[in-house]
Amino acid sequence: MAADPTSDSAAESPPPDPATVTRRLDGRIRVVWILRSVLIAALLAGLTVAIGRFVETPRWLPALVGGLTLALAVPYAIVRYRRWSYAIREDALYLDRGVITRVRTVVPLVRIQHVDSRRGPVERATGLASCVVYTAGSRGADVRIPGLTPEDADDVRETLKRLAIRADGEDAV
Amino acid sequence: MKLSPLSIPYRALQKASTVLVALFFLGTSGTVDGVVTIGIGVLVAAAALAYETAYYRRFEYECTLDTFDIASGVISRRDREIPYGRIQNVDVSRNVLQRLLGIAAVDLETAGGSSTEGAIRYVAASRATDLQREIRRRKATRADERSAAQEADRRASDLDSADGSKPPVPTEDPETELFTLSPAELALVGALSFDPRLIGLLAFVGSGSVPVLSGFLPSTTAFVVTITGVIALGLLLVASWMVGAAVAITNYYGFRLTRTGDDLRYERGLFKRYSGSIPTDKVQSLTITDNPAKRLAGYATLTIETAGYAPGQGGTYGSQAAVPLARRDRVRELAREIEAFDDPDFRRPPARVRVRYAIRYVAIVVALTAIAFGADRFVAATIPWYVTAALVPVAVIAAHYKWVHRGYWLGENHLLTRVGFWKRKTRVVPYYRIQTLIDARTVFQRRWRIATVVADTAGSSGFIGRDAAALDVDAADADRLRADLSDRLRTALAERRGRGSSNATPTDVTADPERPPVENETGTPDVDRSAGDGEFRWVTDETQSAADAYSSETGSNADVDPDADADRHSDADPDADGNSDDER
Repeated sequence: MAADPTSDSAAESPPPDPATVTRRLDGRIRVVWILRSVLIAALLAGLTVAIGRFVETPRWLPALVGGLTLALAVPYAIVRYRRWSYAIREDALYLDRGVITRVRTVVPLVRIQHVDSRRGPVERATGLASCVVYTAGSRGADVRIPGLTPEDADDVRETLKRLAIRADGEDAV
Repeated sequence: MKLSPLSIPYRALQKASTVLVALFFLGTSGTVDGVVTIGIGVLVAAAALAYETAYYRRFEYECTLDTFDIASGVISRRDREIPYGRIQNVDVSRNVLQRLLGIAAVDLETAGGSSTEGAIRYVAASRATDLQREIRRRKATRADERSAAQEADRRASDLDSADGSKPPVPTEDPETELFTLSPAELALVGALSFDPRLIGLLAFVGSGSVPVLSGFLPSTTAFVVTITGVIALGLLLVASWMVGAAVAITNYYGFRLTRTGDDLRYERGLFKRYSGSIPTDKVQSLTITDNPAKRLAGYATLTIETAGYAPGQGGTYGSQAAVPLARRDRVRELAREIEAFDDPDFRRPPARVRVRYAIRYVAIVVALTAIAFGADRFVAATIPWYVTAALVPVAVIAAHYKWVHRGYWLGENHLLTRVGFWKRKTRVVPYYRIQTLIDARTVFQRRWRIATVVADTAGSSGFIGRDAAALDVDAADADRLRADLSDRLRTALAERRGRGSSNATPTDVTADPERPPVENETGTPDVDRSAGDGEFRWVTDETQSAADAYSSETGSNADVDPDADADRHSDADPDADGNSDDER
């Protein structure tokens, strides 16, 4: 969360907002992602065991499948966390993410239809929350910022709401 | 107002038809006693009729001053009010049976939602047209009132220019014809239509029957197999073409596009008649499509997209509002009638990308050859597998045209993108319609230092191919394009909102403030402090090298920057600092 506020904004803009900085996700999101990959690895290993009951397969195959999945998924989760960042500026919400395909999304605040902050069961268990931003765009619905602390999620939601009201699009479509 | 009383039997028949047909087959097959089936049938029909009578009694719609109200529902009731300003399209459709009964289905579409928001099933045909006109009129009146009020405000604040002109009185605008499909063009639409679904169906059926058939044909030579295959394929293609032609002709029979005030209205269909109105201020994007055959004959297709249609709802033929075929200049004229854009001068992806396309296409050819070779080796029949290798020149030509046709152009008020080596699509998106901007770079794209910038609109469907995308633009270009588009969106929105209330948004995009170079020796994340210019380039220690790799491109690629946007881009020149090409 270390980042300095943007000090030199345009002349007519209000005093620097603590929100207009580049932010990282909370580190605990790695735990969530790693746990998820562990679950997937376990599922795949279980599936291999099940297949092994009908087809002749080497005994070490389930372990190999699970291990391979983990070996790929754990670094992926870590890199994914390192690549994720977002920023709320006075004009738009910026997201930068993606390991294999790097995706940068610009969501102009005028276009925001509504904002949710969410806490799923896993997120509640790890003390995290996420924030989902909806636009009218055909692909806008998946603008989701995971791995926020609950306070941060509420904060992001409130900031976006405030800025979106100020940006005020007459007809968001 | 109520539905047409004829809608009761029609809807009941619609609801009960599947059950009745099933009962009919059960009855005739003799598994169930005839009397019992007739009894059940009568019961089902009676229940359907009763339900539909209740539906009819409950269903009410009304044009109020501000909203279109629909009260409906038998078991769970629903009252819905749709503000006129939010209605995107009003569509009327009538199939053969409905035409015989003189009824029509009216659909009011608003943006968002997964289904039609206002479905009126069914009213008298004349009533449907009246409704279409009435909604259009009410909407225009509302808009006029609003602008009149704004006008009054402005005049109150600016007493000097009190010239006493009255606000415009809403009048019924005359209907002007924009386009009619001539019989010759209809024939051409048919001739150029090809329905690949038949091939798919036959392939599905055929895949099961081949082993069966091969049992009947014990001794064949490869020659006979090949000849039979070629003939069968030819027949299949002809059949597909005929099916496609028939579908296209029935779809577009009697196509007319007219304009009334700010609304476009279309009519089409031989058996099932469609007509719809599209407010021009709700148009999200335009698409001009052509393929080599159409290009050669000088024709193109125009598609008008609004936010009203949910994905997959536009019928089997995509968007309902499309000019199926017209001379190219006519299409351009029509498109300009809706969105006034200038002559585009497309900026192509960097020339090096051609090599990438060629590699990909040649790889496909090689894979095909390998498959043919494998078939030759392991299947009894001898196939001239090396023939596919002849496709290599084709692949190279295709790659070239893929590159030639790809590009984007930033106009005064519109983003134009073009894509497709065979079926070429040119998309026109007004800046103020852009919803989000997405810049995606796959591993392969990063290797070639290119990126794809997608301008997402609230268009009809979420397919990747449907959004306006500047594909494979230079990475540094992509950074600029993203920033530029987001600036232009804000400017366009501010302009649309009127100059009076837009001091919160910067209006001058060309005044690009000097961006301070990003210094980053320390390990702390550093914010690029140029939030004002909308540039999305904050840098952390780990993205630094990647950012350098992106920006290093501009130096070597300044020569592929010939268009008028060069001056705009020149002051947004990325940091020309030391680069590390570790991306490659």
